[in-house]
Amino acid sequence: MDPNDSFREFMAAHQQSLMRTAYLLTGDAHLAEDLLQSVLIKVLRRWSELAHVASPQAYARKALVNQYISWRRRLVRTAELPSAEPPERAHSSEESTIIRLAMRQALARLPPRQRAVIVLRYYEDLTEHDTAKLLNCSIGTVKSQAHDALARLRALAPELAPKFADMENLEEAHR
Amino acid sequence: MTWLRAVLDDMADDAPQVDLTERTIRARERRRRVAAPVVATASVVAVALAATAAVRLLPAEPDAAARPGTVTDLPARGVGPLSHAYATFCRPEDGEAPSGCVNGGWRVVTRDGKTYRVGQALRGGSSGLRTSPLAISRDGRKVAYYDAKAGTFAVRDLTSGAVLLAPTKVPRQWLGSIAQLLLSDDGRFVAFSKAPALKDPAMLFDMRERMVRFLPNDWDPIGLSPDGDTITLAKYAPKTRLQTISHLWRTSTAGNARTVDVTGHYQVGGLGPDGRTVVAVESVKVTGSGCVRSGGALVHLDRETGKVLRRVPVRGLSMTANFVHLRSWAGPQEITALATPFTCNESDDAPASSFDPPYAPFTAYAVNVETGKARKLATYTAQGFFELVLPGFPGTL
Repeated sequence: MDPNDSFREFMAAHQQSLMRTAYLLTGDAHLAEDLLQSVLIKVLRRWSELAHVASPQAYARKALVNQYISWRRRLVRTAELPSAEPPERAHSSEESTIIRLAMRQALARLPPRQRAVIVLRYYEDLTEHDTAKLLNCSIGTVKSQAHDALARLRALAPELAPKFADMENLEEAHR
Repeated sequence: MTWLRAVLDDMADDAPQVDLTERTIRARERRRRVAAPVVATASVVAVALAATAAVRLLPAEPDAAARPGTVTDLPARGVGPLSHAYATFCRPEDGEAPSGCVNGGWRVVTRDGKTYRVGQALRGGSSGLRTSPLAISRDGRKVAYYDAKAGTFAVRDLTSGAVLLAPTKVPRQWLGSIAQLLLSDDGRFVAFSKAPALKDPAMLFDMRERMVRFLPNDWDPIGLSPDGDTITLAKYAPKTRLQTISHLWRTSTAGNARTVDVTGHYQVGGLGPDGRTVVAVESVKVTGSGCVRSGGALVHLDRETGKVLRRVPVRGLSMTANFVHLRSWAGPQEITALATPFTCNESDDAPASSFDPPYAPFTAYAVNVETGKARKLATYTAQGFFELVLPGFPGTL
């Protein structure tokens, strides 16, 4: 059996989900590809060890987020932040398009760790504990990063303020 | 959180639909080979090679890092024939980048030792994975590259400065991660292919008549007939295969294709000057590791049947101490073999992700395909086999 076959199986099952996360982190299709490609090479390098652990995708996701934060620091230093516009869609309601564009622009202005927290907490649905573990920080840091990120998103995208307000009310109700 | 989750989910629908599986496997193998000299640099073999390069060969192969301030942009015209080209990535994990390094940029070096930046060529990505292909004609007088401003491929005559652009635009994302170019001897035809095989096609351009033919993707072009009417291609995953497509320009759409499987795994060199001979080096798995090394012989393959015709043991070039890639033919009976010291060290086999491969010596030999006798031609410094381009066939992976 080709030693790469089990990696191929892993890719068939998890590649697109990792790509979606990479895209949300970077906001740019080409950077997302580069980011994921770079991480996958690391994953493949350690495949003989990872193939036997319960969740190689968890390792891949962690590597993806940490690589993204590292890249963002480098990119900021060299002023190479992407300016690519989102692709046009054939079918999209006006409201959803406005929301998507506003959110996309606001996310692009978040510091890398805040953006990562938003993606992990609200897209990946990770708990604060799991997010903290993945980012190698405390739960308190995750809470404050999430709070700051949401506040900043609200300020950066005032047209989304009612949505954020509803969200906060819902959170209050759950407490 | 339903609202925010839904918006993020909606945004994620714009994520690229790309299969990175085979690209990752190939890039990993490529990095493994690139990284081999990292460990070998400390060995006696590599020290000897480096000394050879410094003492005997560097006058013909100037090391940009050692000559700061000598690199300028490629002049509009009047550039002499090229010895080679190399890509520069500026954060090597070991040693220093060349002075004036442009990340992902290409430099060309003339036979008389002048080095120029090719500012028109698309720069490779910061990760070092999205490469920008470049090819040099066999006589060293023309260079093909992806012109970032024009958004398509260009062929530049270095003497006159005349530039021919491909008749169609080629979006950057079509370049994939591992792009290949093959330039015909007269500079009229440019074949382009890339990995992975997506929906967008590989192409053959007639730069003079401004026509284009689609080619199968994820096949590496290894030879083109002088009239551009027949192309030979090779493929390595999941097995070695050869394909010949003829009558490319005689029909309105496509030519006749013939594909053969080769038993075993081989890396092929450029198609022979007779338009038929295919010579290869076997890829041999190192027992007990994930490493692949070169076989000890030149293997003659039948382009029509895929069968191994004969094996010629190589002499004068250690095929076990080096990893060897074949390039263009150096004469009617000699093929160029590019060698770099081979090591197999799984724990050290990939550069840290935020750094680029180190600059390492690559030595070119002319190997007689009938006798196997090798003679040394020159030593170059580059960050990898595919970051170093010699005139003619630029190599495949």
